[in-house]
Amino acid sequence: MSRVIALCFLLLAAVIGFLHIDSRPAWAPFVITNPSPVEEELEPQLVSKSKNAITPSRPSIPNPIATWLPDTGAASVHAASLIALKDGAVRAFWFAGSREGAADVSIYSAVFDPRTSNWSAPTVVMDRVSAETGLSRYIAKLGNPVPSRMADGRLQLFFVTVSIGGWAGSSISSMISDDEGLTWTKPQRLISSPLLNLSTLVKSPAILFADGRLGLPAYHEWIGRFGEFLRIDAGQVIDKRRMSSGRSAIQPLVFVNSAQDGTALFRQTRVSSQAKQVPVSQTQNAGQSWQVAEDLPIANPNSAVAGLQLNNGVRILVLNNIETGRYRLTLLMSDAKSNQWQVVEVLEDDEALPDQGRKEFSYPYLISVDGDDAHLVYTWDRKKIRHRYFSEAWLKRAKKQIQTVETDSTPKEVQ
Amino acid sequence: MNSLMQTIALIELAITCAVVMVLILQKLTQQEFPVIAKIVLIALLGNLFFWPLGLGMELPLAAYVRGVTGDLSIVFMLLLWSSLLPSSKTTPITFKFAVAIIALGFYPFALGLGMVDPYAWGYGSSAFLIAVLAFALVCGLANWSKGVWMIAIAIIAWAAHWHESANLWDYVLDPFLAIWALLAFFGALHKRRKAKAQSGYLFRPG
Repeated sequence: MSRVIALCFLLLAAVIGFLHIDSRPAWAPFVITNPSPVEEELEPQLVSKSKNAITPSRPSIPNPIATWLPDTGAASVHAASLIALKDGAVRAFWFAGSREGAADVSIYSAVFDPRTSNWSAPTVVMDRVSAETGLSRYIAKLGNPVPSRMADGRLQLFFVTVSIGGWAGSSISSMISDDEGLTWTKPQRLISSPLLNLSTLVKSPAILFADGRLGLPAYHEWIGRFGEFLRIDAGQVIDKRRMSSGRSAIQPLVFVNSAQDGTALFRQTRVSSQAKQVPVSQTQNAGQSWQVAEDLPIANPNSAVAGLQLNNGVRILVLNNIETGRYRLTLLMSDAKSNQWQVVEVLEDDEALPDQGRKEFSYPYLISVDGDDAHLVYTWDRKKIRHRYFSEAWLKRAKKQIQTVETDSTPKEVQ
Repeated sequence: MNSLMQTIALIELAITCAVVMVLILQKLTQQEFPVIAKIVLIALLGNLFFWPLGLGMELPLAAYVRGVTGDLSIVFMLLLWSSLLPSSKTTPITFKFAVAIIALGFYPFALGLGMVDPYAWGYGSSAFLIAVLAFALVCGLANWSKGVWMIAIAIIAWAAHWHESANLWDYVLDPFLAIWALLAFFGALHKRRKAKAQSGYLFRPG
C-alpha cells in the first residue's frame, strides 16, 4: 500500500516537473546592438574643450583622454569594468584591498562625468561582510565585478565571491540597482556548477537576448579551464552551454555577428608547447551550442582580452599582444567583414625596460556610450586603474588608417 | 522571497549538521539513541548551528558550513534525516551502486571533459526528467518506497525553485551523496567478500 501511495506521489511530481519544463522560456536570438557597417566622412572636432579657447584655424582630432580612477587608499587594485549610465556618464567598478584575494578587498564604484572629465569620489558597493550577510554564508574574498544593463533598464552587477581556496573556488553572485548604481538589492547566488558550485567566474560584459534575458560569458577555472555561456533570468541561471573544453581557454568575450551568429574570443591558458594565440569559438544558434574555431593569429600571454563593436561595424580589441608578460598593452582594430586586425595604438609599453622594471598592464575592459566612442579601463601595475577615452573622431581616423594599410599592402603583423 | 529562501536553506543545513552530529555520536557510543533523545539532541544542536553565537563570528555556524558545502541535494538531505527514523531500513546496495556509477559518469563530463555538458540537461531537459522519474520508478518496483518519496520531493522542490539552483541535478545529486554512495558501495562489497571468505573457511572440507 505504501508503495502505491509513493508511486502516486511520484506521478504528481512528474506532472509538476513537466509543467515546470513547459513554462520555461524558449531560447531567444541575440539582440543586434550594432547596425550594418556604413561609410562615414571623417568629422574632426576641436582640440580644446576649454571655455576660453579660441577656435583654431585648422581643425584636428583630439588625442584620447587619459585619467586615473580615484584612489581608494588601498595598496592593490584590479579588475575594473564599466557601464554607460542613462545620462551619458560612465560608472566604473573595481576591487581594491591590501592585496588581491585579501579579506579586506571591497568592490568600489565611481562615476566619470564626460563634461568635466572627472571621476566622482569612490564608494564601496560591496564588501566581504555585506556579501556574507546578503548571501547567508561564509565568504572569504571578493573578486571581479561586471555590470550589465537589463532589458528593463535596471543595472545588474555580477561579482565573484570565494568561500574556500583560491580563485578556482569562485562562484558568481549578482545584485540589482534601480537608481543607476547608487543603491543595490541584496546579492543572490548564481548556481552554475555541480561540484559545490565551485569555480565559475566572470570577466567580460553580458550580451542581451531578444526576450530581454542576459547571456553572460563566464568560465570555469579549476579541474578544467573552459568558457561557459550562462543564460540569466534576473538573479538565476536558467541555462548554460559550454563554449570550449579542456584546460586551454578562459574569460570569453562575445561578439554578436547576427541574431544567431556569435564569436567568442578567449584568454589562452595553454601549456607552453601550444600556440600562445587568442582561442576562438563560434555559435550559429544564438549560443545554444559552440564550436571551437581556428585561433585568431594575435599573440596572447595568458591575459584577458577586451573588445567592442562600434556602430560603423568596426571592432576594437585591447590586449597584451606578446607571448609572455603583460608589459605591453595595445589597441587593435578590424573591420567586421575582413577580420584583419591592425594595431592602431600602443597604449603602454615597457619593453625597453629590464624585466624587473616592467609594469603589468592588464585586465582591459571596453564599453561605448553611444556606439561610436570607446571608454577603456585597465589595471596599471596593480596599483592604479587607468582610464582612456577614444572619441568618435579619433576612432574614425584610426579606421581610415587601417583601411589605407589594408589597401596598400598585405595585412600588418600584429605580433 | 530571496530572504525566505536563505533562511530555509540555513534551517535545512542546521538540521542536517545536527543529524550528522547525532549519527556520529551514535557511531562513537555504538548504540541507537531513543527517539526522544534524538529529537532533543537535534533540537539543541540545530539551534546551536542556526543562531548567530557571536564569539567573534559574523554568521551562524550553519552559514560557515554552507560557505563550503553550498545547499545539499534534497535526496541526500532526506536520506540523512530519514536515517534517524526508528523504522529506517538500510539503503539498498543497488541504489548505492547506481548513484556511484551515475556520479562517476557525470562529474568528469560536467567539469569540462569534452564539449558535452550533462549538467546543462538539468535546467529543463524533458529526457533528463524522464530518466530521473524512471530511476524513481525502479526504486518503487524494487520495493524501496523511501527512494520514490525522496526523488519525488526533489522534483517538486526543483519545480518550486526551493533552493537557489534552477538545475534538477542539484536537487537529486551532490558530491557528498556521490562520495557516500561510492564508499558505501565499496564498503558493502568488502563486507560481502569478507563474509564469503569466512564462510568458505568454516565450511571448507578438511
